[in-house]
Amino acid sequence: MQAVDGVDLELHPGEIHALVGENGAGKSTLAAIAYGAVRADDGTVEAAGVVGLVHQHFKLIERLRVWENVLLNREPRRGWSIDVVAARARVRALSESYGLAVDPDAIVETLPVGIKQRVELLRELDREPSVLLLDEPTAALAPSEIAAFFTTVQDLARRGTAVLVVTHKLAEVIAYSQRVTVMRAGRVVARHLTAETSADEIAREMVGGDVPALAARAATSNAPLLEVRGLSAQSGTSLLSDATFSIGAGEIVGVAGIEGNGQSALADALAGIVPFEGAIDFGGAPLRPFDTPADRLKRGIRVIPQDRRHEALVLDWNVRDNVALGRQRTLPRRDFDAAARVVIDRFDVRPPDPDAIAGALSGGNQQKIVVGRTLAGDPKLVVAYQPTRGIDIGAAALVQSRLIEARNAGAGVLLISFELDEIFALADRVLVIANGIFAGAFERAAIDRGRIGALMAGNA
Amino acid sequence: MNRTARDLLIVVVLVFGVGSIAMLLAHVSPLDGFGALFDGAFGTRSEVAETLTQATNLLFPALGVAIAFRAGLFNIGAEGQLLLGGFAAGWIGAELPLPGYVAIPLVLLAGALAGGAWGAIPGFLRARFGANEVIATLMLNVVATLLATYLVTGPLQQGGAGASETGVLPKAAHLPDLLPGSHLTSAFGLALVLAFVLRWVLQRTVFGYELRAAGDAPEAARRAGIDLGRTALVAMALSGAVAGLGGATIVTGELHRFNTGLSPGYGFIAIAVALVGNLDPLWIVVASIAFGMLQSGGIAMQAEAGVPREVVSLVTGLVILALAGRRVVASRRIA
Repeated sequence: MQAVDGVDLELHPGEIHALVGENGAGKSTLAAIAYGAVRADDGTVEAAGVVGLVHQHFKLIERLRVWENVLLNREPRRGWSIDVVAARARVRALSESYGLAVDPDAIVETLPVGIKQRVELLRELDREPSVLLLDEPTAALAPSEIAAFFTTVQDLARRGTAVLVVTHKLAEVIAYSQRVTVMRAGRVVARHLTAETSADEIAREMVGGDVPALAARAATSNAPLLEVRGLSAQSGTSLLSDATFSIGAGEIVGVAGIEGNGQSALADALAGIVPFEGAIDFGGAPLRPFDTPADRLKRGIRVIPQDRRHEALVLDWNVRDNVALGRQRTLPRRDFDAAARVVIDRFDVRPPDPDAIAGALSGGNQQKIVVGRTLAGDPKLVVAYQPTRGIDIGAAALVQSRLIEARNAGAGVLLISFELDEIFALADRVLVIANGIFAGAFERAAIDRGRIGALMAGNA
Repeated sequence: MNRTARDLLIVVVLVFGVGSIAMLLAHVSPLDGFGALFDGAFGTRSEVAETLTQATNLLFPALGVAIAFRAGLFNIGAEGQLLLGGFAAGWIGAELPLPGYVAIPLVLLAGALAGGAWGAIPGFLRARFGANEVIATLMLNVVATLLATYLVTGPLQQGGAGASETGVLPKAAHLPDLLPGSHLTSAFGLALVLAFVLRWVLQRTVFGYELRAAGDAPEAARRAGIDLGRTALVAMALSGAVAGLGGATIVTGELHRFNTGLSPGYGFIAIAVALVGNLDPLWIVVASIAFGMLQSGGIAMQAEAGVPREVVSLVTGLVILALAGRRVVASRRIA
């Protein structure tokens, strides 16, 4: 398949250049070609100096220290051994020089996502690149971290680095880039000076038409469905304490919060992955603390996990078998194909082929399969954890519309998202979570952006 | 499939490339060496029968290994499971005077149960305590050898004092021969049927679907309601049962008694067979015949061309290293 076709792209020293496009438009492939990780069939890449690339999915060695990761393969030596003192000093100087505070001796796996990103960035900066490619750099960052990240990027540009940001977040494009290149289906469809364009215009160019509107909200019964009192749970490092809330049938309850504030514990407790303390009443009967995921599935509770590649899909399998996952005990094998085709049709999965291998699909299409199969069995409660993470506008709008339709049909939806815009667009009610505690609740009509932002940051 | 093709290429290069080098070192023309090997494996009816006998003895443990591997469990304990299966079959067969129509099924069942129990131990340790099954199965091989030796010479002694074998099985408990005068018995047919059944189970049943999901994406499987601990236990027990059944067929078919030396390492070579067969039961049948050829032809190669038989072990070991090493690396990367 031709991922990129006859594309010209020029980066200048000192500029931040945004490369935007839908899923599968060829942005990441283009970045990989520029970096040298993928060989182009035709055409040339020329760069003055070193090219650095920061991946969307971090490529860090989790069990090594920060300095070991940053200097991997370029360690300062003293005879046969590594000069640890010099190495530490070099990483500390580097992080101070760019204002990227990080402890050189910390073990990477103990660090939060935002700090891991700094390590990833520092590793590239140590090579003193004249061209820096950033592939979806803010996909896992909280709003405040995003601002800090771009401050660093702007600083880099001022020092003369040419920066290419591959992204789907148009607000960041408008706020931080000087030039924009829009790709669709492997070709460049537009080039702009950022100052002369708008997010709306770019979005239309990416999609090749108008951005699809979200499904309309219908009136629902709001009958009691889920009643949670004093819920405490732990999943890995994620802690939730004493949460009390309810979800009605036909209601979307949004949980707003910065990543790492107890969201995983909440999702995993409801999914039956971890035990909980407290009381959960669901549809008139309690959920038991030590139920298995299978018990929850039987009750009609289905979860869209945060990490589709590890927690949701079997990447080596085809779409057909992946669609059946979670319903393998109830769905007869002869119905697998029909079930897969329903999801493919309803969610516009491309390619529309039940035999396609899930791991070969783009992130957006993978997510469509996960969301599609989750909503297929008419679940009573859907826990949607970052349902549009790292996917483009068109796919995200489709996923969001299907969630609204599930709500309209009477399902309760718990939407856990790190993207406030998503929560404001979908939720009937917003709960704010900070440090594992529910810090506030807002009805849809009374949403206060500033107040929610302050509560998320832990300022009560 | 790309990976299968590449695996096959690796195997062919190793077998013929390394084999040729080894033969040249032994001052034998590779043409003569491989000629003797093929001739020794397929030259006469009885040589074909011996090749298929060796293939059968490899096929059972290889199928067992494949079940565990498909569930994401690196069972390298097929040797011990096979040995204890063989012991249980030999002891029961020689101990109980049974009529023909129950003798063979019961003796085979005893072998499968013993092998299954031996496989279930690491399965349970994995399910209950998260213990690494590689180390557990590896160590249980040694325990199995010592246990069988102890039982057969000690508390469950049937032969003469100190003999490392059970008594002889009555005629009723002998598997029917396929080619009289050879070791080829109906065990070959049983193994073929088992391969087809296992393929069907893995690809077409809910159990197989859940087992493969647990192996290919454990975290996704868990969230889809699949009990990973139970799957590990059942997969290891089934894996051991199939290997144990293999041990039982060697006893009832070939030897007509259990002997602690009944396996020249079938359980280990089976790992290579399973991997070359890409863990697909039907391809494993093909791979087992290829390795059966190496086993039976190796003797002729030594006798006629003067190439040490160890060349076959060398090639087998390299195949395991090349294929298993890469698989382990791949699985660690995902984890």
